[in-house]
Amino acid sequence: MRARLLAVGRAVAFVALALVLCGVLFEAAGFSAPDMFASILDGAFLSDGALLHDLRWACPLFISATGVVIAFRCGYFNVGTQGQFYLGAIGAAVAVAVMPGLPTILVIVVALLAGMLFGALWAFWPGWLRIHSGTDEVITTLMGNFIAILLLIWVTSGPLKDPSGSGQVTASLPVPMADRISDDGGVSALILGITIAVGIAAWVLVNRTAFGVLGGLAGRNPIMVTWQGARLSRLGLGAFMLSGATAGLAGAMEVLGPDGRLVSGFSPTHGFTAVLIGLVANLSVSGSVIAALFFGGLASASLYLPVIAGLPAAAIDIINAAIALFITSRAWPSRFRFRRATR
Amino acid sequence: MIDLIVAVLREATPMIYVAMAGVLAQRAGVWNLGLEGLMITGACAAVVLTEQTGSVALGLLGAVGTCVILSALLWLVIEKLRANPIIAGLGLTGLGLGGTDLAVQAIYGSEGAVTAPAGIPTLGPGFGPFAVLDLLVVAMPVVVFALWVLLRRTRFGLRLAACGEHPFAARSVGADPARMRLIALLLGGALAGLGGAELSLGGLQIFSVGMTAGRGFMAFAAVIFGAGHPVGATFAALFFALVEYLGIKAQLVFGERAPRDFVLMLPYIATVLGVWISARLRGGVPLSSVEMRDG
Repeated sequence: MRARLLAVGRAVAFVALALVLCGVLFEAAGFSAPDMFASILDGAFLSDGALLHDLRWACPLFISATGVVIAFRCGYFNVGTQGQFYLGAIGAAVAVAVMPGLPTILVIVVALLAGMLFGALWAFWPGWLRIHSGTDEVITTLMGNFIAILLLIWVTSGPLKDPSGSGQVTASLPVPMADRISDDGGVSALILGITIAVGIAAWVLVNRTAFGVLGGLAGRNPIMVTWQGARLSRLGLGAFMLSGATAGLAGAMEVLGPDGRLVSGFSPTHGFTAVLIGLVANLSVSGSVIAALFFGGLASASLYLPVIAGLPAAAIDIINAAIALFITSRAWPSRFRFRRATR
Repeated sequence: MIDLIVAVLREATPMIYVAMAGVLAQRAGVWNLGLEGLMITGACAAVVLTEQTGSVALGLLGAVGTCVILSALLWLVIEKLRANPIIAGLGLTGLGLGGTDLAVQAIYGSEGAVTAPAGIPTLGPGFGPFAVLDLLVVAMPVVVFALWVLLRRTRFGLRLAACGEHPFAARSVGADPARMRLIALLLGGALAGLGGAELSLGGLQIFSVGMTAGRGFMAFAAVIFGAGHPVGATFAALFFALVEYLGIKAQLVFGERAPRDFVLMLPYIATVLGVWISARLRGGVPLSSVEMRDG
């Protein structure tokens, strides 16, 4: 309990430190820092409807963050959440496109599963390379993000292109209204239900199953776990694919939910923010709930700032980046102290 | 052919300078994923300062200075606060991308492009097709060679490598890994600043928000692809630039039949393959050796 309180205190302290750095930057850029923070707070949590907007961003972010928690606990730096999220969105859009006129339930279930499958596959190859040849997953997953962005551009401007679309941003044909899981607001009982279900499943997996416990141990000391007779390669691949599947599910939900179509280059900071949420929560699923609500609020504020307060949306990116800079400070449990390849 | 060489050199040079920063960090045992942030900061500072002061020299100096300060910040966070270098580096990248966006809006009140009145001096007429190459492109081979000498032929370079590969051993013979890392990161910051300046002041003399578009990450990939060796990283960056150039050319020749997006994927795919092959050759030990500490 005391250790947990300490971890929470540390996370809060480093977030505060990051905010101080941001305040200095804002002042340096000629904005008034107190006004800036007041508008952000207002846009994120206090103004009318802010909490609904917060949920709209917090749900997909939380789902992706559970995957980050699973992978990072095993000691794998899957920073490819963005790419897996995009692949999931592509999977869902493809599923919807190939199943016109089928019953709604079937379409939604298949589209969500397709999203999870695509996301898992996009995490599978870096995982396989890491586990079977010791290729560092940081680079492969990062490169995977860039490839996924290009794939998304190709899909939306080629096979799934909406011919009536125009201008810079290409998009796919809209998902039929009947097959949507929410309106443009992006908050519905179904989305909340899926999010809660994923959260509970992830918590049980991490805290109450052999896979989760062994994975956590493997992240701390892979050699010991191998000697205990656990199959590290299976654990690792499982962790990779689960984290890819969650990101893919989040992507599929964006397509079937608030976006209602596949848009080229949507939610460009989703993956980075999801990784942050997992880290701020000190790799705990329950902590990720609170962190996701916090960052979801920031995400919704970044849309609100330029419109209402006339402040640049970049302010939010800076806040996220500053938190990333500090959040891992000494906060590492021993599992991040050293990383070894395990064959 | 000459056109190809000129185009590839102009495309690759910014990446090569940034990759040299990555090589230095890599030698010191730091995976510097902040390169993208350093590059965009250098690009922004160079153009804004040139625009404000009218002097290209001051612009270059400003780019170098800002990136050195940012590198010092990264070092503080990694070394003194013991943060994880990968996440902290990604944070630095975000800080650079967001910070330049904010700076441009604060100074010019718009998200548009900033144009500098002057650029880095070029070779000029008398060099035929090479007239468009500027001084940083010409200096590039010299810089790479100097870095190779520094890393492979001096006491400092060998100590740096020791600190990166085996901090314990390095410490036992009296080298201070933390200090070595600081020197490597600051020097790298200066080089990355030059790379960013070359990107914005070398060609169109324009800075636009997000103009690096992943080149900093590509430079990092070039470091890995080139096995952390200055010359290897240079060739990797040249290869990426060549692929990019051929992609644009294929577009012109084949029109719609060459899907541009797939051609653009090639450098990234090549990187993955390169990293995979080098991992197989090395027997599969990830390079990131974070020092084990007591306590």
